[in-house]
Amino acid sequence: MFSEQAAPLAQGLLAPPSAEPPTFPRVPVSGYSDCSQPFQLGERGFSRQYAHIYAVRLAGMRPGLERRARSRWGNDIALRKLSELQAGEKCCVVGTLFKSMQLQPSILQEISEEHNLVPQPPLPKYIQPSDELILEDELQRIKLEGAIDVQRLVTGTILAVYGCEQDDGRFLVEDHCFADLPPALPWNGPSSDRFVLLASGLGLGSVSGEALLSTQLLVDVVTGQLGAEGEQSCAAHITRVILAGNLLSQNTQSRDTINKAKYLTKKTQAASVEAVKMLDEILLQLCTSVPVDVMPGEFDPTNYTLPQQPLHRCMLPLASAYATLRLVTNPYQASLDGVRFLGTSGQNISDIFKYSSMDNYLEILEWTLLAGHISPTAPDTLGCYPFYKSDPFILTECPHVYFCGNAPHFQSKLLQGKEGQRVLLVTVPDFSATQTACLVNLRDLTCQPITFSGFGADSED
Amino acid sequence: MEQPRRITDSFPRRRRRGPGRPPGRLKDKSKKEKDKDKVQVKVREGPRAPSQPPPDPALLEMLRRFDLSWEYGPCTGKHPRLSRLSRWPGLPPAPLSPRYPAGITRLQRWERAQELGLSPPGPIRDALLEHRDNPDVTYRWVWGGVRW
Repeated sequence: MFSEQAAPLAQGLLAPPSAEPPTFPRVPVSGYSDCSQPFQLGERGFSRQYAHIYAVRLAGMRPGLERRARSRWGNDIALRKLSELQAGEKCCVVGTLFKSMQLQPSILQEISEEHNLVPQPPLPKYIQPSDELILEDELQRIKLEGAIDVQRLVTGTILAVYGCEQDDGRFLVEDHCFADLPPALPWNGPSSDRFVLLASGLGLGSVSGEALLSTQLLVDVVTGQLGAEGEQSCAAHITRVILAGNLLSQNTQSRDTINKAKYLTKKTQAASVEAVKMLDEILLQLCTSVPVDVMPGEFDPTNYTLPQQPLHRCMLPLASAYATLRLVTNPYQASLDGVRFLGTSGQNISDIFKYSSMDNYLEILEWTLLAGHISPTAPDTLGCYPFYKSDPFILTECPHVYFCGNAPHFQSKLLQGKEGQRVLLVTVPDFSATQTACLVNLRDLTCQPITFSGFGADSED
Repeated sequence: MEQPRRITDSFPRRRRRGPGRPPGRLKDKSKKEKDKDKVQVKVREGPRAPSQPPPDPALLEMLRRFDLSWEYGPCTGKHPRLSRLSRWPGLPPAPLSPRYPAGITRLQRWERAQELGLSPPGPIRDALLEHRDNPDVTYRWVWGGVRW
């Protein structure tokens, strides 16, 4: 796509220099609107309990799930609350799922000195065959068994189960359903090729600077300083760059100042200071040429709980002088040229990865879209702000591009829904590990990876 | 070697009063509370308006039933006066922060129930707006009506 358009014009390098060098103006910015107001928190107070967010999540998703249940299992099924269940009666119950896992890290176990337990080391997956699923609604809870995949589901999902209550008090599930794809948004996409570059996990401030050459190559391609006229004219079609989190590397998160003695750490600067300066210079080069949206990630200097607030502009003095720099929240939702983008920096997907048997990031991304919620495991295992009025992570409209950052590999898939929804699912890979970014074509919702690599220390010259 | 850039180059330092009050003021307020018996004490600072007539027990009973009905969602959160005074006499009282209440107020719970379509009773909202300055009305009911 990108390189096919570039190839015919590649002869430009072998021609004598012309009197007037050709210029390629970038496609103008048209139709940008930021839709992430629900994720922007003003003043934050944390003295609320999390019961409210679960209650509004269930209350908000219940009507949609009841409609789905009726359309799937018939209009005349009995929709019951758990308190109204009668043994042996086939009915449908809507509730929140809770998965009780033995290996789930629990702060109470860690501080329990009677058991003399060493805190559990972080595991890649916390699932075990002995996990159980429990369905909770507003008042009661009941254990689930039957045609339901215990390993695959995670806590916090709202679903409807169809079955009957057994004599021993458990609910035998015959079938279950999720909220499914939300209603589609009208399509107003551009008629010519427009590209959006998605990259995540720049990983600045890491111990090895191998990814720095690749980062500079990325910046040079986008600003049109790399390649012949063919590549430059293609790069002029890139309308936006979205950096999806983890701009800083995990190495910048050293906790030396807490663990070491004061005299050793007195004059040391935090590693993130140098990394942010480097980020500022990179963003300056990008912002002079293309609009950039910067989302914070797991290792970036912003709050930990979802939704992460934008990085403060005082950290990026050089780049924030330009209006093309937009510091945005994580998760991020915006409408670019009529195409609705929704994405996160990957914490929600990697959290589900840890507590579910699903191994593929794209599969998990698709599952969150079908479950109707961006991050069901928040606030159980992922930090979340204690919302009380409404849960902003519930998907009410179907985006056109749904992405997650910091995935181990690049994957993309175009999902077609029954009601005419078309969603491009993209897992943006970690740039510091894979040196790969993604180019999304807004005209036909296709995505291709673009890899930058220099000569490494182990390759022959 | 160029001068290192500082944040204060872009953002000049400004002296501002912090959000906390000086500690002496807090102590005076708690002393005044113990002196007054049944007179209503407003949670917010500022000029004291003439105290309103206390709401009748029937109203408080209606609000209590609103709190305890599960259909309108959870109603957690401590009374701000209770959350200020600590349970253990040795420790100092928790600082009162009117901007970050513990839990949600009854009015916020009512409005949330309204938005979710649970049709909470209208007279409750009128009562809450009428007595909005009374902390016993705005926040959750106190256990057994004990006054501290």
